[in-house]
Amino acid sequence: MTTTQIRRRVDPRAERAARTILTGQRPRLLRQPVVAAVNERRRDPRALRSAALVQSQPRPRYDWTRDATSPTTAATVGIAIAAAPMIPLKVIAEPAYLVIAMLDRPGGEIGEHDRQVIAAARLLADAGGGAVVTVCTGSGEALAEAGSDRHVALPNHWAEDYVPERRAAAASALMTALSPRHILFPDSPDGADVARRLAAAAGERLFTSVQSLGPDRATRQSAGGSLETAHRPTRLMTVAADAFAPLDGVRHEARPLDLETSSVAAEEVLPRLGGVRRLAVDPDALSLSETDFILSAGNGVTDWHSFADLGEALGATRAGSRVVCDAGHLPRERQVGASGTVVSARCYLAFGIAGAPQHLQGITGVRHVIAVNTDLHAEMIKRADLSVVADAQAVMPALIRLIRERRHD
Amino acid sequence: MTEAATTDIAVLLSIGRHPVSGRARRAATDAQALEMALSLRPQRLTAIHAGAAADAEALRDYLGMGLKRLTLLVLPEGSDPVEPLIAHLRRLAPSLVLTGRQAEDGEGSGMLPYLIARGLDAAVVPDVVRVGPADTSDATPGKSAIVQALPRGQRRALSVTGRFVATVHPSAASARASAFGPARRGVIEPVTVEATADLFLSECEHRPWRPKPRLMRVKRGGSALDRLKAATESKSGMGQLLVNPTAEAGALAIYDSLVEQGMLP
Repeated sequence: MTTTQIRRRVDPRAERAARTILTGQRPRLLRQPVVAAVNERRRDPRALRSAALVQSQPRPRYDWTRDATSPTTAATVGIAIAAAPMIPLKVIAEPAYLVIAMLDRPGGEIGEHDRQVIAAARLLADAGGGAVVTVCTGSGEALAEAGSDRHVALPNHWAEDYVPERRAAAASALMTALSPRHILFPDSPDGADVARRLAAAAGERLFTSVQSLGPDRATRQSAGGSLETAHRPTRLMTVAADAFAPLDGVRHEARPLDLETSSVAAEEVLPRLGGVRRLAVDPDALSLSETDFILSAGNGVTDWHSFADLGEALGATRAGSRVVCDAGHLPRERQVGASGTVVSARCYLAFGIAGAPQHLQGITGVRHVIAVNTDLHAEMIKRADLSVVADAQAVMPALIRLIRERRHD
Repeated sequence: MTEAATTDIAVLLSIGRHPVSGRARRAATDAQALEMALSLRPQRLTAIHAGAAADAEALRDYLGMGLKRLTLLVLPEGSDPVEPLIAHLRRLAPSLVLTGRQAEDGEGSGMLPYLIARGLDAAVVPDVVRVGPADTSDATPGKSAIVQALPRGQRRALSVTGRFVATVHPSAASARASAFGPARRGVIEPVTVEATADLFLSECEHRPWRPKPRLMRVKRGGSALDRLKAATESKSGMGQLLVNPTAEAGALAIYDSLVEQGMLP
């Protein structure tokens, strides 16, 4: 502990003497306390402890790093505000070599896997004073915070349409224009596809799904996952998901490079794949682990016709809790939870589910939870991002009516 | 449209490896590729395997699926199968080459379909679940319709010009069981070919795979309490709470939330 809190030493006789008014018939005492003399050397361990206490339930937790003289949370807030501009901008003006990271950017934002690819590229670049060049559609501050030194923006309309041949041609043009030491791709379906096209066109060996990376050694899984194959880093590599920690607390410049030639060269490619369109998929035919939107029922649902209609109206995959599947209202493979499926959907709409720990364990990976339940104190209400304390049998028909109304408008 | 593409099909088959026992078997996605080829009822169906002759018994699993004969390009151990396969396929000139996504044994880089497409000057389509139109509307002459699998169970329809190489996704129609009698009666025709050694693979260093610890997303910075909270507390919403609204008000709140999340148009 660096700072000590000082407690005033109380001298009752001196205080009393200071508050005494002697004018009048008899001495009177003033009510308000008077500031007394302070003993600098005395510290109060109880006050220090209570100032450091940040949480008392379910068990006490102390934060001894805070400034004990200001017992409010102002100290931590001040650190958080000060920390954001504190990250120094790292500029690599004269890179010894370049490492290109070709990003997927699914859904228009820099994904977790993209950040991991940039982190892997940084490993290679920082070993010898190189710079990381990111290539994707769009641009933004997120790239600088992920660790990109230079950025080549692909045309924005490439984000929507699927033409892998064009991306491979752009990568090939960049390879000749920048002559990078390495090009890294995410090992996602689309990223690895472009990487393989580029490797086949360039006649280079592709080192796929890299699990660990150093300046002179890269490893991957081979022989169906039973062997570890190591080689020095090749020119083209794809980076496996969740093998590298994304960078945190760094800021690079992400300076835009103007390389129109790559996209112009790619636009001239005559693609053999065309007529691309998304197909409508029956949501109930998807397995629970891969679907994006789940409508789930618990013990509070008795109106199964409305539940089925709602699933159809929403286009959501139907699922249920253990009680519902035990009772035979839904098949066993539709059970969410510890003994069923652990789901990773983007949205989870739960009707009449109280939220047993085993059920909440099954939905830990869900981003947005909406719960409808009659019990205000149910665990599910605490977990949910939007909670409606109401009867599921009343809300379900109302929601169906609303969806049909809005669709006809 | 697909009539032209599916009259002459070549299927590239590899020898798989059981993930637990390590025994040689038919490779899962290669068997699905053969299943897809058989269900298209082509006029000519050629099945090819390139590799060492020692493991040829495992290829009988494919013969048991209803193949009459299978060509085995006999290569020495440790040689590159790409060049002999390209040379063999050039002579056959199939309009469609089907294969699995990635080998279950050996390097397993998934490069072979791409290199073969390059050698044959054909298009390559990854992760195909169906060759043929998704519905009757998209039948274009001179083009083949294809359905491709995307992550999260989504599907995408494509059309391809000219001949193409397709790799089959695991969510395609599952392979039929292999029957013992046809597996015995089928013929494996060995063809001796010239092949060069794979120098890159012999440069690599191999050792048994040891599972790595899972990457934890640890947030750096902030106070000790912030980091403790980030590591221990699960994400709890505690967002908007509506207590006893009317059914219409509750439904409207849910609807708006779903629209905001992009789940409803």
